[in-house]
Amino acid sequence: MSDKILIKSGLILDPATNTEQRSDIRIAGGEIVERGSELNANAEEQVIDADGSWISCGFIDIHTHLRDLGQKDKEDIHTGTKAAAAGGFTTVVSMANTDPVIDNGMTFSMYLQKIAERAVIEVLPVAAVTKGLAGQELTNMVELSEMGAIAFSDDGKPIQNMTVLRRALEYARLTGKLIISHAEDLDLSEGGSMHECALSTELGLQGITYASETVAVARELEIVRLTQAPYHFTHISCASSLDLIRRAKVEGLPVTVDVTPHHLALTAEEVAEYNTNAKMNPPLRSGRDRSELINAIKDGTITAIGTDHAPHTKLEKSRPFVEAPFGITGLETAFSVVYEALVVQNYISILELIKLLTIGPARILDLPVPSLHMGSPANLCIIDPRIQWTYESAKGQSKSTNSPWDHKKLHGKVTCTIYKGQIVYRSEPISV
Amino acid sequence: MSEHSALVASMSSHARELQKLSGPGVDSWKNRRHLLDTKDLSTDELQTLVRAATICKEMMHSGEGPQPLLTSRTIANLFYENSTRTRSSFELAAKRLGATVINLDIASSSVAKGETIVDTGRTLAAMAVDAFVQRHNCSGSAMQIARELGDRVHIINAGDGWNGHPTQALLDYFTMLEVRGSVKGAKIAIVGDITHSRVARSNMWLLTKMGADVHIAGPPTLVPPELSSLGVTVHNKLEPAIEGASFIIVLRLQLERQKQGLIPSIGEYRRVYRMDHARLKLAAEGAKVMHPGPMNRDLEITHALADDAEKSLVLTQVGNGVAVRMAVLYLLLAR
Ligand SMILES: [Zn+2]
Repeated sequence: MSDKILIKSGLILDPATNTEQRSDIRIAGGEIVERGSELNANAEEQVIDADGSWISCGFIDIHTHLRDLGQKDKEDIHTGTKAAAAGGFTTVVSMANTDPVIDNGMTFSMYLQKIAERAVIEVLPVAAVTKGLAGQELTNMVELSEMGAIAFSDDGKPIQNMTVLRRALEYARLTGKLIISHAEDLDLSEGGSMHECALSTELGLQGITYASETVAVARELEIVRLTQAPYHFTHISCASSLDLIRRAKVEGLPVTVDVTPHHLALTAEEVAEYNTNAKMNPPLRSGRDRSELINAIKDGTITAIGTDHAPHTKLEKSRPFVEAPFGITGLETAFSVVYEALVVQNYISILELIKLLTIGPARILDLPVPSLHMGSPANLCIIDPRIQWTYESAKGQSKSTNSPWDHKKLHGKVTCTIYKGQIVYRSEPISV
Repeated sequence: MSEHSALVASMSSHARELQKLSGPGVDSWKNRRHLLDTKDLSTDELQTLVRAATICKEMMHSGEGPQPLLTSRTIANLFYENSTRTRSSFELAAKRLGATVINLDIASSSVAKGETIVDTGRTLAAMAVDAFVQRHNCSGSAMQIARELGDRVHIINAGDGWNGHPTQALLDYFTMLEVRGSVKGAKIAIVGDITHSRVARSNMWLLTKMGADVHIAGPPTLVPPELSSLGVTVHNKLEPAIEGASFIIVLRLQLERQKQGLIPSIGEYRRVYRMDHARLKLAAEGAKVMHPGPMNRDLEITHALADDAEKSLVLTQVGNGVAVRMAVLYLLLAR
């Protein structure tokens, strides 16, 4: 494949400068080498017509479960990163709750090896905070950090003991790395399978009270106050949690927040017919929670969108609702879902949305701020806002199909993703 | 005589009466494939069900043998959770209508091997079984199996988790109508562990639809959130719920609720919620006590009250259970 590409006539969205500019982009050697209008194609260049499309820096997903290792039936690093590329992502942060858990140097280096072999985009792996995600003994955080862990998280099995969390945040001073929290009080949520509300009562399902998240946020914020260590709350779902975090940020605590596309777009009503593809943790919440999440994006409390892409097999998701595992896929639909929920619905501008998918997560993770200037790595995606398409998960890139948007009509589509100057995704031409 | 007329000639007058039922409710039943819950039953369908169950009850008490009404039908009792009572009731009902019945207690066997309910269902459907009577400990399992296999088999929900137990609610309703011709405007109390009760949910849907004034009482730890959104009045203590009530449905208390920390002790539960003769005096003149069984005697209801033929409908409910299930099977499965 040629590594020389000319993208013609796209509208370049640059949230760093808050500008939209029509420009051609010339790519060679993995970098952006020229920008300008009316650039002429060289003989060896592949030309992509982006007239009417937008061009953005490649998206960064701060929360992905790529599985692999002992869970290749759900997803592997190759299919997971291909799904990410199809969603416009050129960087994903992969969680550590793999099988085995990424909690030691050996497993970490094995995972790095798999990434090197299988990933089509950049994968930044997270390592566990505690051994076996058991919430008791800290992992060798310095070793793991030096090996390349982007951050530390016990996502999937959150730390309940606040002394352990305190030690983790104190010890994190040695690494300077972020700790990512899945905030949940496991006693309060025990046995629950959907948001606690009138519908859970009606369906005869045990609910998960909003308080299971908010109680955890409250106590974890006190540990952040105590240690002053940088701390990131992922997939926050409740209005009451946002109130606490908003106050903490005003106070100057070093906390950040991301939200998932599904919590922005859907509510608990989605469960109504025991739809296991609407079962995830934290669960879809009330309409009020959903609008408060959008408000928190508008006021800057939330600065990133993370998919929490969590593939599970058809067999697992065909179990009765109570027994089916938590989690949905999300990489391939993320942009279209949030574009519809936030931009088409007029809550924020397209530039603000792009920021949540690029600069926002980069700042949280202390990554270089992505840009499309000359000399920048050619990590970008092309988006056609005119396309209306129907997501068919079976034809997607992920091995799993557990998406609430399967067979659903979506608005706006990533049509091409380029990572280090290589085309890693190109959609079939779809008539507009 | 043709085979068909021979069959008709061998039928009892009750069986022929069942076949002659007509009206909009009968048509709706004919178009209906499943009985998943009482929630989606129309009032026409409920009226028809009551008429059919009345005839079935007469059939049961006439001493006549099985009637050839569902002879070409095979019904599988799929019980993923043990319930000898409900299963026997469905089995008797099916046999009285001449259907072939197979019983599968799969609580331990195939599920332990990792087979899903859809796998099990698919296997049976392949053997040309016409209907599943399914009991499963997960809410929504009846709807799920209907979604996956509903074009091939009829699904009758015999209890799914905490969600629904429609034939129990139907038999409760039928039993109430025998006592007073309508539940419209009647105060009906449902008492006990509401959160974990499929009987309570199916009864709430049905009774509120038929215009009853439904009142709920149970330990606040065993009443689910926002319950009043289902159109019922929720009380903490027993007395305001049963005051002036015509019927009191007492639910079974699972002893494990105490171990789960949902109630402090059995003694405390008894003190606040056990139905006895003294408390029944608060209810309306001639009020009746009901229980879906099996009872924890002297826990949720006193021995004396449970056995008081004047005031307790418990045994009537059991008998009516067979008649109502006959009616359901007939209306869903007769061609
Ligand atoms: Zn999580």
